Amino acid sequence: MRHAQAQGRFFDGEQGLRLSVDLYIDAAAETLRLTHPNLPEGSQYWPLWAIRALSDQARDDQMVLSLVADEALDSALITTARLTVEEPEILTILSRLCPDLNRRDIARGTYRKVTLWTGGAIGALLLMVFVILPAMANTLATYLPIEREVAWGQTVVRSMEQVLGRSRSGGLTCSGQDGLRALQAMEDRLTEGTDTQYDLTVAVFDHPMVNAFAAPGGHIVLMRGLIEKADGPDEVAAVLGHEIGHVEARDVTRNALRAAGSAGLLSLVLGDFAGGGAAVLLAEWTLNASYTREAEAAADIYALQMLARSGTDATAMARFFDKIAKLQEGGPDLPGYLSTHPESHQRAGLARVFAEDQGVTTPILSAREWKALQDICK
Amino acid sequence: MNGQIQGSYHGKGSPLFKLYFITAIFTVLTLGIYRFWAKTRIRKYIWSSVSGDGDSFEYTGTGIEKFLGFLVAIVILAVYLGIIQMALFYFGLNLFSTPQTEAQALAQLFAIYITLLAVLPLMLFAQYRARRYRMARSRWRGLRFGMENGAWVYALRAMGYYLLNLITLGLMNPLVTFKLEKFMTDRTWYGDAQFEQEGRWQSLYAGMKHVFIGLALLIGGFVLIAVGGANDTIGMLIGGGLIFVVSYIWFLIGLVYYRVYAFNYLTGHKLLDGQVTFGARLETGTIIGKVVVGTIVIGVIMGVIFGIIAGIGTASLGSFAQGGTLTGASISSLVVIGILYMLAFLAAGGLSLIMITQPIIEHAVTNITVYNADHLDSIRQRTADAGADAEGFADALDVGGAI
Repeated sequence: MRHAQAQGRFFDGEQGLRLSVDLYIDAAAETLRLTHPNLPEGSQYWPLWAIRALSDQARDDQMVLSLVADEALDSALITTARLTVEEPEILTILSRLCPDLNRRDIARGTYRKVTLWTGGAIGALLLMVFVILPAMANTLATYLPIEREVAWGQTVVRSMEQVLGRSRSGGLTCSGQDGLRALQAMEDRLTEGTDTQYDLTVAVFDHPMVNAFAAPGGHIVLMRGLIEKADGPDEVAAVLGHEIGHVEARDVTRNALRAAGSAGLLSLVLGDFAGGGAAVLLAEWTLNASYTREAEAAADIYALQMLARSGTDATAMARFFDKIAKLQEGGPDLPGYLSTHPESHQRAGLARVFAEDQGVTTPILSAREWKALQDICK
Repeated sequence: MNGQIQGSYHGKGSPLFKLYFITAIFTVLTLGIYRFWAKTRIRKYIWSSVSGDGDSFEYTGTGIEKFLGFLVAIVILAVYLGIIQMALFYFGLNLFSTPQTEAQALAQLFAIYITLLAVLPLMLFAQYRARRYRMARSRWRGLRFGMENGAWVYALRAMGYYLLNLITLGLMNPLVTFKLEKFMTDRTWYGDAQFEQEGRWQSLYAGMKHVFIGLALLIGGFVLIAVGGANDTIGMLIGGGLIFVVSYIWFLIGLVYYRVYAFNYLTGHKLLDGQVTFGARLETGTIIGKVVVGTIVIGVIMGVIFGIIAGIGTASLGSFAQGGTLTGASISSLVVIGILYMLAFLAAGGLSLIMITQPIIEHAVTNITVYNADHLDSIRQRTADAGADAEGFADALDVGGAI
C-alpha cells in the first residue's frame, strides 16, 4: 500500500504557536505520524482508532482532528491538541481508516447526572403543578373578591367568543328576545329556593358544538349545538344546573388560577419554539380543563338538588348523559365538554336513582318558552 | 508593531439553512428538547466559519451539557416563576388574556413590567453566565477563551446602571454601555492572556449624535404640529407630520448607529496581554442595508409560501368552512395544512438566520483586524473553567440572542 504524505497545521493545545507538521499514515501500524523538529523527540504518533473529527464544520475543504481523551474538564471528551488537514487525498484515507472518526464520546457519569436532574426537574414541575399551585389556587380562589372575579370572567367569555368565532364578524352571543326571556325563566325556576352567591349571567353562543362552560364570576355559556341536541328543556336545565354547581363551588376560578401558574412553567419548559403558543394553549385549556372527579360529582348532585326543588324531572339529566355516552362512542370529533366529563353512563345511573324518589314533575319551560329558547339564535 | 490578522468568514447560506431547518424539525418533534443540540450544532457551524490567519475558531460545547444546565435552572425557576405568576394573577394582573378596556391594558402592561422586574436580576445573571459559557467553550489555535466568575456582581451593577439610565432618560447611556462592557472584558481571557478594556466612556457620546438629532427633530416636529394645530395652519401640520416620520426613522437608525459605533470603539480599545490590539470598522449603512434587504426578500418569499398553503387549505377545506361537519378526510387535510404551516414557519427562521444574522456576522468578522499578532504565538493554554457550566438560566429565560 502507498503511504500517504501531507502537511498539517498542528497546535499542541499547550501553546498558541502553530507548527506545520509532516503527516504520514502508517496503515500497518494503524497510526498517523506527525513530524516536526519542535515536537518532543521530533514526532508524535496518533492511533487511528483514537482520532476524532470536529462536527458541523463550515469548511468542507479541511478537517480538524483531535484525539479522544480519558477525561476532560469541558464536556467534549477530546484532548486539547488540534490538527487541521487540507490535503483531500489524506482526508479520504483517514475517513476510511479511522473507525471512530465521527464518534461523540461522552464523559462517564454524564447519563447518570442527566437522569438525576431530569428526575429532579420533572419532580419540581409536578410538585408545582399538582401540589403547590393547586393548594395556592384553592386558597386564593377563596379570597378573590367577587367583583374582580366577575370582571375577569367577562374577559374569559369574550376571548372564548373570539376563539370560537374566528371566521365570523360580529359576536357569537345570541340575542333573540323571547329566547333570552325563556332562558331567564329557566334560570329563575332552577335557582328558586337555592342561595347563590353569584349573580348568574347565562348566554347562548351561536356555535354547533354540543358544549357548555362556566367562566369565573357566575358566567355560564351554552352552545347552540347543545340546545339543538337536547330533547326538551329539562335536559338543558340539567346541564345549566351542573354548570351553576361549578360556579358556586368556585371550581372555575380555582382551575383558572392554577392554569395561570402552569402557563408560565409550560412556556419555560417548551422554550416557546412555536412562538407564543403557550398563551393560546392556556386559553383553550382554561376552559376545557377537567375539574376533579369530586368536583364533577358535587356539581351533579348540586344540579339534581336544584332540579328536585324546582319540580323538574331528574331523568332528563340521565337522558342527556346517555346521549353524551353515545356521542363518546362516535367518531374522532369529540366535543371538549364531553371528553372531560367521563363515565357518563355511571352518572346517568345516579340521576335515575335520584329520579325514582321524585314525585310529580312538570317541564321547566312551557312549550312556547321552549320553542323560543330553541330559536334564540335565529 | 508586527503581524496583522484580518478576520475571514467561510460560512455559506445553503448548508447553514439545511442545518437550521433539520435541527428545527427535530426540535418540534421532540417538543423542544432537541433545541439544546440544535443551538450547539449551529454554533459549531458559525464558530468554525470564522478564521484568522487560516486557523478556524472552534465551539466545544455539547448539547447534553446545555440540556443539563437547563434542567438545573428549571428546578430553581419552576418554583420561583410559578409562584410569582400566580400571585400576579391573583391581584387581577392577567398576562395571558386580551385586554378589553384601557384600564385593563394598563394593568396588563404593569403586570408584564412586574414580571420582568422579578426576573430581571436572573436575566442579567443569565446574560453574564451565557457569555462566560460561550467563552469557556470557544477556542482558537487550540487555546481556550475564558471568563472569571462574576455573574451576581454583574447583575447587581447592571441593575444600578439601568436605573441610572432610566432616571437620566438615557443621557448616561454611554457610561452604562462602557462600564458593563468593561466589566466583562476585564474578566475575559484568551489562554493565559487577559483582556483589558481601555478608552473613556465619554468618547461614546460621539456615537449618540444621530439619536440626539432624531430626538431634536422629533421635538421640532411636535412643536410644529402643536403650533400648526393651534393656528389651523395646514402647511405647518403637514410639515410637522413629515418631520415627525423622518425623525422617528432617524432615531431608529441612530440607535443602530450607536451600537455599531460603540462596538467599533470598544473593540478598538481592547488590549490583550498588554500587547495585542484590535481594530473594528463595521459600517452602519451596510448592516441596515442587509437587514432591510433581507427582511424584504424573506417577506416576499414567505408571503408566496403562505399564500400557496392558504390556497391549498381553502381548496381542501371549503366544505367544512361552509358549516359542514368534520369528516376523516377533512381532519387529515387539516393536519397536512398544519404541518405545512409549521414547516413554513421554521423555514422563515432559517431564512432570517442565513439572510440577516449570518451576513451581519460575516460583515463584523471580516472587518475586524488583530494587530501585533505575533505575540499570540507566546500565549499558553489556560486551565478549563470548571465553574462555567452551561447557560441553563439563559436557555430557560431566552436571553441567548440570535445564535
